[in-house]
Amino acid sequence: MSTIAHGAAATVRRKPLAGAALFVTTAVALAVGVALPWLVPTKIAMSLLAQAMFDALLATSVGFLILQNGRVSFGQAAFFGLGGYSVGVLIARHWVAPEVAVLIAIILPTLVAFLLGLVIARITGVAHAMLTLAVGQAFYEVVFRWRELAKGDDGMSFNLPRHLFGLSASGLQDPAVMMVLAWTILVLVLFALALFARSRIGQIAAAIRDNEERARFLGYSTMLPRALVYAIAAFIAAIAGVLSACYNGYIAPQMFHWSVSGFALIMAIIGGAKFIIGPAIGAVVLFYIKDYAGQFAEYWPAIVGIILVVVTLTMPRGVVGLAATLWKMRGR
Amino acid sequence: MSAYAIEGVGLTRRFGGFAALDGVDIAVKQGEIRGLIGPNGAGKSTLIDVLSGRAPNRGGKVLLNGEDISDLTPQERRRRGMARSFQRTNIFPELTVEQQLRVASWAVAGADIDEVMDELHLTAMADVVAAEISYGDQRHLDLALALVGRPTVLLLDEPAAGLTMEESLSLARILRDLANRWHVTVLLVEHDMQVVFSICDRVTVLHLGRSLSEGTCDEIRADPTVVAAYLGTEA
Ligand SMILES: Nc1ncnc2c1ncn2[C@@H]1O[C@H](COP(=O)(O)OP(=O)(O)OP(=O)(O)O)[C@@H](O)[C@H]1O
Ligand SMILES: [Mg+2]
Repeated sequence: MSTIAHGAAATVRRKPLAGAALFVTTAVALAVGVALPWLVPTKIAMSLLAQAMFDALLATSVGFLILQNGRVSFGQAAFFGLGGYSVGVLIARHWVAPEVAVLIAIILPTLVAFLLGLVIARITGVAHAMLTLAVGQAFYEVVFRWRELAKGDDGMSFNLPRHLFGLSASGLQDPAVMMVLAWTILVLVLFALALFARSRIGQIAAAIRDNEERARFLGYSTMLPRALVYAIAAFIAAIAGVLSACYNGYIAPQMFHWSVSGFALIMAIIGGAKFIIGPAIGAVVLFYIKDYAGQFAEYWPAIVGIILVVVTLTMPRGVVGLAATLWKMRGR
Repeated sequence: MSAYAIEGVGLTRRFGGFAALDGVDIAVKQGEIRGLIGPNGAGKSTLIDVLSGRAPNRGGKVLLNGEDISDLTPQERRRRGMARSFQRTNIFPELTVEQQLRVASWAVAGADIDEVMDELHLTAMADVVAAEISYGDQRHLDLALALVGRPTVLLLDEPAAGLTMEESLSLARILRDLANRWHVTVLLVEHDMQVVFSICDRVTVLHLGRSLSEGTCDEIRADPTVVAAYLGTEA
């Protein structure tokens, strides 16, 4: 009996604390976001940080698929591009109100990913990676060739409307505003993903990732939870695409390119895909290394390759995994 | 309600030209603990797979409490009260013990997990990730996952595989106590005769995909064909 009492006490003690830590961390991160314009010295630095946040969102999307579905995607740029193109094309052509354009640009990729998820949820490993790569490249080919849609491979500039959701839309192209906005969205996304991981459906999805067969014999149908994870991941990628398109006032097929997916995957792995925050950290680290490496930009893919090799060999759980290990050792 | 909790009629399963199950009939009464024995490759796991819906049903019928469930998915069978375990440990390595039992309970209307955790001595390691508990505890966890929600029919494929004699007997005792208390019908595949004879009401012997013999423990022990085909080679 004593073991029961002990076990129950331990759970009761620990869970609210972990929950409180999550809320406090989120609140602090949001406060930091508000203070960013005073912390970041120049417009250029602000612009860089804003773009690092776009990368972080996309990497978070890829990492979430790995974390919750155990699936590696080489085509997540499809949803990034679909978000960007939807908002760009719809706003440029005035087909719908700009607010509706933004909503469509986020909902459409989410729906597409959900349906796709139902189809490819059963496929694992290399076949899954190749399939996602093919889907991403198919989108790329379409926008590349379909000149009437958005000028094909030239890409297309578009003007933001005057107002968006009652606010002045020009702020979306102001580095200071976008930096704060993208930071805030990233923090909220990470917070929501942490809540998802603790939720019932999140834990069921984790169980399915861990051992799909046993989950089925416990009575779960495994397709819907898996498809839901695909949809959430696409939702995040689409937000990144919308932000990026609005900030640049420009969309191009490059948004769909496999290299965008590939780099997002590398960021997720470097940061640590077993952690919700890992991919975002990986994206920021890599973004600033890239900026720092400036003059060697032409060797950038090689530099990333070397970083990836070093990280996978020396820290299999990524930068965040290493930090977590060091933190535990400190406690001893 | 049918007198039989679980029934297989003329179950057949072929791999190419080879029949792993060749017209097997089996019927287990409500609340009975039935042992399923036979040499390696006899078709014991295949029989469990067909009964539980893991393997598609290619010949014959499966009845659960008299109802034909041959065409139901494993999920639907679970919802009707059938649960199973696997010959190879089949747990959720990255979830904690409590987490995965909770996931198991959500699938059956949020059943209580404390009693199962307690009975299988898992409470002390509730917060430990399953990959990090000992092999013996993992076997307990595997059984616990099947027991959550008090299934009416339990199909167990060598739940004590790889355990020491002592551990096996202890697991068998836990199983018998729970099965009797909860009135669960059990079909138990087990290699160790001491375990089988210590907890089973009746025993079915499979040999080369056919049901060779069936009876009480004493009848099976005395059956010359069983001794020749199986028991004789054990000693
Ligand atoms: N997927 C498969 N493909 C081909 N043959 C199979 C397959 N699964 C099982 N078999 C064959 O069917 C026969 C019965 O296998 P099964 O696993 O049911 O035996 P078992 O009685 O459980 O044996 P063990 O005591 O070793 O667990 C064996 O000869 C096996 O090789
Ligand atoms: Mg077997």
